[in-house]
Amino acid sequence: MPDDRFFEPEIETMPRSSLVALQEERVLELVPYVYERSPLVRKIWEEARVKPGDINSLADFTERVPFITKDDIRRFRDQAGDPFGGLLCTDYRDAATVFSTSGTTGDATLYAHTWDQWHPFWAATARDLWEIGVRPGDYVLGSGFKMRGPLYHADQMCGAIPLMVSTGIGGWATALDAIRRYRPVCATLTGLAMAELDHLSRSNDMTDIFSSFKGATFAGEPLGARAREQLRSWGVQVYLWTSTGDVTAAFECGQHDGCHAWEDSVLLEAVDPSGSAPMADGELGELVATSLDNPVTPMVRFRSDDIIRMTREPCGCGRTHARFWPVGRKGDETIVAGHSFVPMDIWRALEQVPETATALFQLVRPGREIDELKVRVGYDPDLTRSIPDVRDRVSEVITAAVGVPPMLDLLPESDLLARGRGGKLPRVVKS
Amino acid sequence: MTSASGTAAATAVPPARLWGIGRYDLGDSPVYFEISWDDWRRDTAWARDMLASHGVSRGSGLVIVGGMPESPWFDPFETAARELGVPYSIGDVYPFEAFRTSLYARRLPITMIFGIDRTVAEALGSELAGIVVRIPVVGARPDAAALLADAGAQPFMVTRVGPAIAVECPHRTGAHLNGAEWTLAARDGELLISTSGSRAHQVSDAPVGLRGVLTSGPCACGRTGQRVTIMA
Repeated sequence: MPDDRFFEPEIETMPRSSLVALQEERVLELVPYVYERSPLVRKIWEEARVKPGDINSLADFTERVPFITKDDIRRFRDQAGDPFGGLLCTDYRDAATVFSTSGTTGDATLYAHTWDQWHPFWAATARDLWEIGVRPGDYVLGSGFKMRGPLYHADQMCGAIPLMVSTGIGGWATALDAIRRYRPVCATLTGLAMAELDHLSRSNDMTDIFSSFKGATFAGEPLGARAREQLRSWGVQVYLWTSTGDVTAAFECGQHDGCHAWEDSVLLEAVDPSGSAPMADGELGELVATSLDNPVTPMVRFRSDDIIRMTREPCGCGRTHARFWPVGRKGDETIVAGHSFVPMDIWRALEQVPETATALFQLVRPGREIDELKVRVGYDPDLTRSIPDVRDRVSEVITAAVGVPPMLDLLPESDLLARGRGGKLPRVVKS
Repeated sequence: MTSASGTAAATAVPPARLWGIGRYDLGDSPVYFEISWDDWRRDTAWARDMLASHGVSRGSGLVIVGGMPESPWFDPFETAARELGVPYSIGDVYPFEAFRTSLYARRLPITMIFGIDRTVAEALGSELAGIVVRIPVVGARPDAAALLADAGAQPFMVTRVGPAIAVECPHRTGAHLNGAEWTLAARDGELLISTSGSRAHQVSDAPVGLRGVLTSGPCACGRTGQRVTIMA
């Protein structure tokens, strides 16, 4: 039962030993279940000569069960003509909802759930909104997209009332009107939303508008330093969130010291990105996720390509579940003419030029190692007097950041916004 | 399990006064409208009846095309699909999200697309014809009707009318309105909406910014009450 501090206090603060025991119980139920039902799991385990009888503990599971990658899922999908890539453990008709990943890094993959009242992807998010301070009777501004289903279920679980107005691309002018009228306590922001809010801040008192907020969540991409400073200056406390390998969501708490993975619903591991060894707490590793609460399309040791740092130390907020810090995507590192960089380097550079400070950009690269640095950059037409001048200054800051002069394709911001998918802009594209 | 514990915790929380708040426009002015939990339950029951009249039942699969701000109109159809034991997927109404409607239509055993609008239909481009060949039952917004007809479909109409939604039955002789909740009037072709039920949102003869023709009298489907045909 919720208390003043936690939505599910017994689960959120359960002793680590109890949490591990709970995970082991669920994993040992999962192992024979997926082996019998998931064609992809059966195929990969047979190739690895692993049988359910070999797995008798959590340690056996993390030592012996083979990984599954997104490429494995896509390959199985294409070869077997199975839309779920061999992950579906029930009849399609037994699923309640089928949604898909964002599709920013390639063809989106499908996942499904069965549920009665609240969508499982968001069921644990009520814990995170409660932590932000969402309480019965509060208003919450709805999220801009519905590709992962009804996030407003988490609002309703907290007894709050969702404001279902547009907060997607082009919707923030109307959203500000709703904020003025209803004084919500929370909203979901994205990088694309911040680009819009940046424009609106020139004609609106954002400090006043956001004065009712207990917090705003931000996801989809890294939060750039400039956007973070803007939100701070508007008095908005930002709670970063991300997904745990598309199994569930993970939000920061008020300590802002890592995103909490709800380990009663996901088994989280960090492994060597180029191998299989587990990484120690605090070291960089690839996020590997196993669903503990999805009987329809459970992920089993799914390699997410997300690079994280992780800790299982209790948080200052009192919760005991693991926390992690997203660092980037495996494969985002690019080498151009011998110089190595990641997209965030370009992001920080663009923030230095007022006309491109919203950092709407795409790195165009056919492969990880390239000869020429091609960058598509969005500029703010309202601030731009001379495109050649902007080009010179952008070229200068990117050259300083990366060590190589870029070939620039400057476009109005709206052109870049139109390339967004699922609330975020693919930062690394092939063309 | 996590879903079960979360549901139990939510049960202990005082329920919100409202299911949610939506917005529609009267001319240039926004109107925020409250939806109570009872409103939402009745809307869901009506949506279930409308989907069933199109043959939606166990074994069907739906793509519902509607954005988050349209949830006051479309969530009842999502919930109705779940109650009917029918898996559904959601296609958002941005052009760059049209790929998701296509993805579900191509990969899943979808039997109906519900609510496709012009934005998504246009963004699908040449794919649209292939999609409607595979999925013959399509519920379209009025602004997408011509594109779908060009693609070879004979869609039934799904249209937002102010705070209400109207849906054609398979007889396609005008979109049914839930008469227990709403009443339409036409003044010189302009549609005006009024609340007829005990909804949280009460409105009287409000112009919804649409032109249309109203039909009364029983439909061949057996429903009585108003039907509306939206004019371009």
